[in-house]
Amino acid sequence: MNSRFRSPRISLPRAVALAGAMAVSLTAVTAEAHGIWFAQRAKQLALIYGVGADDLDMVKRLPMVEKIEAYDADYQPIKAAARVAGAIVVIDSDAQPTVVAAVMPYGIWSRAGTDEWERKTLQEMPNATASTRNTKYAVSIVGPLSKPLAPLPGQVVQIIPAGPIPTMLGAALKYVVLYNGKPVAGAKVINDMVNDPDARPEVTGADGTVTLPVRNQGLNVIRAEYIGPTDQPKLYSQVEHTATLAFTLAHAPE
Amino acid sequence: MKKLATTLCAFAALGLSAPVLAHGSTKPQHGGVVQMNGETLFELVAQPGGVSLYMIDEDEPVNAAGMTAKLSVSTGGKRADVAMTPMKGNQFFAKGLKLPKGANVGVQVTSKASGARYGATFAIK
Repeated sequence: MNSRFRSPRISLPRAVALAGAMAVSLTAVTAEAHGIWFAQRAKQLALIYGVGADDLDMVKRLPMVEKIEAYDADYQPIKAAARVAGAIVVIDSDAQPTVVAAVMPYGIWSRAGTDEWERKTLQEMPNATASTRNTKYAVSIVGPLSKPLAPLPGQVVQIIPAGPIPTMLGAALKYVVLYNGKPVAGAKVINDMVNDPDARPEVTGADGTVTLPVRNQGLNVIRAEYIGPTDQPKLYSQVEHTATLAFTLAHAPE
Repeated sequence: MKKLATTLCAFAALGLSAPVLAHGSTKPQHGGVVQMNGETLFELVAQPGGVSLYMIDEDEPVNAAGMTAKLSVSTGGKRADVAMTPMKGNQFFAKGLKLPKGANVGVQVTSKASGARYGATFAIK
């Protein structure tokens, strides 16, 4: 299996069944569980690629990152860039940010039946039964919010907390998943892609929301996956968006 | 000396809680207000002649000469970034700077040795 695309989200029997169904037409599938998110590493803000406990090689993927943005408490932009620091990628911003964001296009992938995913278009793999263009998005709330989190430029899919973030784990928090800036139904949301990556996702309703208990008294990385329509039907049959929202709750005094 | 012209308050009640409580002392030592980022304490002190920043790492004062520091004062959608001058010990100073009520103040320090950048955010009330 290609190491850059190693987590098909469909089981083998399901894949076989899908392959049969897709003999007639290409079917929408969620194919890639990995995402990008921000987390603290040695005091600094780092950009992470992976899923679950797999903190994978972000340095080699850094050329794929299209956009790194930082914002102050009024959502005014702050100049920011990614920097390789040994084995990790850290974010250097010109001022202390309140919010940071990143976009990483992850290419076009196709597969035939249950074969491995390959970095090919439909034109390059005419017998493909599934084909997708993937993009990863990440937003992190670094500093305290003085106003609700805004839809950010470049975040085609974005998770927004619909209310104040609680100070203690276990409290319910409603999230709105935006697609092109508007609430979208059908996005699959999990509460913790680091510590519970295989959780059964909640699906956003007509208002684009899901409500979940805040899971961790520490780093929380919420993930939303949304399959959008293709804009290049000759090259791929869908666009798969994987978005994360990261924030932290403070721990108790020591 | 006049009491602090400006009262600085942490943001904890305004939505997200910043990383507030962690390692070492969290008490202000210069009459200012404190924000923690992990094991690093930032103390911001508004004074008649400007604004001071004191930095402590796990109860050890950080040598200001080994760092650069910047304050970013955001009010009404506009931000002013002010470089601070390293002083003796763990103090940085921004001469003549005032912190208006309602401002958000980002503190960012950069290690001259490693390039590591980190900081905290204060709200001015």
